[in-house]
Amino acid sequence: MHELEQWPVADEIIADREQIIDQLMNEYSDRILHLAFTYVRNRATAEDLTQEIFIKCYEKLAQFNQQASIKTWLYRIASNHCKDYLKSWHYRKVTLNEKILDYIPSKSKHVEEEIIAKSEKHSLSNAVMGLPIKYREIVFLHYYEELTLVEISKITTVNINTIKTRLKRAKELLKNKMIEEV
Amino acid sequence: MKDPFHNLKSSMKKTVFKNLLFSDERKNAVKEAIRERQSKQQLHSWKEETLVAVLESLQHEAKHGYDLSILLIQKNELSFQNKEGLLYTLLHSMEMKGIVTSTWIYEKKYYSLAAKGKKYLTASKEVSSKQRFSLKHLLEEAST
Repeated sequence: MHELEQWPVADEIIADREQIIDQLMNEYSDRILHLAFTYVRNRATAEDLTQEIFIKCYEKLAQFNQQASIKTWLYRIASNHCKDYLKSWHYRKVTLNEKILDYIPSKSKHVEEEIIAKSEKHSLSNAVMGLPIKYREIVFLHYYEELTLVEISKITTVNINTIKTRLKRAKELLKNKMIEEV
Repeated sequence: MKDPFHNLKSSMKKTVFKNLLFSDERKNAVKEAIRERQSKQQLHSWKEETLVAVLESLQHEAKHGYDLSILLIQKNELSFQNKEGLLYTLLHSMEMKGIVTSTWIYEKKYYSLAAKGKKYLTASKEVSSKQRFSLKHLLEEAST
């Protein structure tokens, strides 16, 4: 047998990488799922994307620059992956067509359901979920994940002043929305 | 003035993210996918042409993963097409074996041939196609 066929060192590294992903999943998988949901607003899609994100991390782990924080690195991969999905052919052509059907009012809708839907509209979180993506992602990262502007800037590659402007604008949009609906 | 987002976190937890958890089934699916990819960690599981194409692409200058992946496709080496992640896995194994080295430049990792890698590439070119010595065989002797 060739010596290379049983690489003790490589095996150790492989086991390590598996362990790192395991730890990352235990620590962050729910949060990454919430992040993905914030982008795509669909539970099943968010779960699929989260699964893909951790596999991607495993593949990219060798490229992880030790100088960066692993959390920021993970969030950045996650954010990019979700945005790539939203730009993908599948999402734009297939999912959007399904969405259009959702907007066609259905007469069979229960009165009760409508009342619930209406009261949900007033909730803050639903208002946030209705914001355009560039505001939604930053509001989520800042107020839900409680990340600093520097961290958000590293994750989204948006510069800090732009992030500040977007937060301010998001608040204005939200205020108008809440007033409109009362 | 009150920040409209000040109780957003608890509000989101109770509404849009309610019961939204990454299940054990999902975690296991990730683990399984990882194990599948691990079989690709061994150099001898790659085709010899693929290994040579990667080494050749790095012989003149250091390249980062993305440039390398484009170059390989141009060379009609399609093993990594739509599976770019595997290229990084291979580069990582090669790095571990001292066949390539890497440096970070502006947050990008550049790979270049190490002395060992150059040796193998030369060897693979010198050997005539008739009595072609397996490069893989040479690579596998890397540890001795």
